[in-house]
Amino acid sequence: MSLAVFRNAASAAAHRAALRPQVGIAAVRSIHTTKQANAEIPTSSTDPARPITQIAKTGSNQLSLETPQNKAEYVLSTMDKIVNWARQSSMWPMTFGLACCAVEMMHMAAARYDQDRLGVVFRASPRQSDIMIVAGTLTNKMAPALRTVYDQMPEPRWVISMGSCANGGGYYHYSYSVVRGCDRIVPVDIYVPGCPPTAEALLYGMLQLQRKMRRNRKSVLWYRK
Amino acid sequence: MVSLARTIRSFRRVGFKEWWRQLQYIGDAKSGTYVGKDQFGNRYFENLNPEEEIPGRHRWVDFAQHDFNATQVPPEWHSWISHIRKDPPTEDRVVQNLSPPWKAPYVENLTGTRGAYRPYNTTKPKVTAWQPTVAARGD
Repeated sequence: MSLAVFRNAASAAAHRAALRPQVGIAAVRSIHTTKQANAEIPTSSTDPARPITQIAKTGSNQLSLETPQNKAEYVLSTMDKIVNWARQSSMWPMTFGLACCAVEMMHMAAARYDQDRLGVVFRASPRQSDIMIVAGTLTNKMAPALRTVYDQMPEPRWVISMGSCANGGGYYHYSYSVVRGCDRIVPVDIYVPGCPPTAEALLYGMLQLQRKMRRNRKSVLWYRK
Repeated sequence: MVSLARTIRSFRRVGFKEWWRQLQYIGDAKSGTYVGKDQFGNRYFENLNPEEEIPGRHRWVDFAQHDFNATQVPPEWHSWISHIRKDPPTEDRVVQNLSPPWKAPYVENLTGTRGAYRPYNTTKPKVTAWQPTVAARGD
């Protein structure tokens, strides 16, 4: 009986996955040829009133959270937006410069890219920062220190993994002394690719993190549960 | 350089509505020549007068979407706004002729939505779980 229930649940999940609207690149790269006809969802859009990012959210939990259904939810989602605004307007990254990526991270702070205009201020103390930028090769010897620093940061906290070495070991993937990606030690929010990524790429990563912060609807989630 | 005279000059050139929009999205009062518009409705401007705009801020984009993002600039206009090409794609014959007919339409970064790229693997897994089979017993 329980097995049957489990199998039903599993097949329902698979069915849902098959029916989930695929948009964008994922739809193009889909390897399944016998698929449900969902031609009504376009893969690109040039209409500014209905951009592709909105189309891509169709039917998702995120869109449901962002659409208030009653007055209480309206108030709570507005509160969420205020919290998000406050968080995204003063991101204080804890610098964890480990290798050459740290030089590009410094360039982000310098005059040309000027992170201060976005409210991003380097804070060399984990207890007063909310983002950690892991810039460079994370070695086995450094890993406990990285985890300690991460644990010292107050909630809510985010981690940006910068460069190939922090993303997945990169050039040193097969070395005996290197962690194959800092996501084995800490949960990572944004991966910035590159070896090293340009300061522009890291700044774009920060903007993507702002976008992620803007998606937060924690109190609406709490209310609905 | 930013000065009160420049702000007033720009305000008088672009009008109240445009000035207010710039204040909301760019955070500066800018004025210049309208260069063109891409397929998404983003508008591109240029002001080559070094007295009015600091060199480096002399080309700018006014995004069509409220939730704007640098990847909303298509590659042709990116090459103009980043000074890879001198002329905008409306005038640049090379950029126009280089666009092949099989090119897919440009899509902005969909990270964080359902359209985000999801990696997948098509190779056979090297490790497989053992499926025990019971041999038929003789009776």
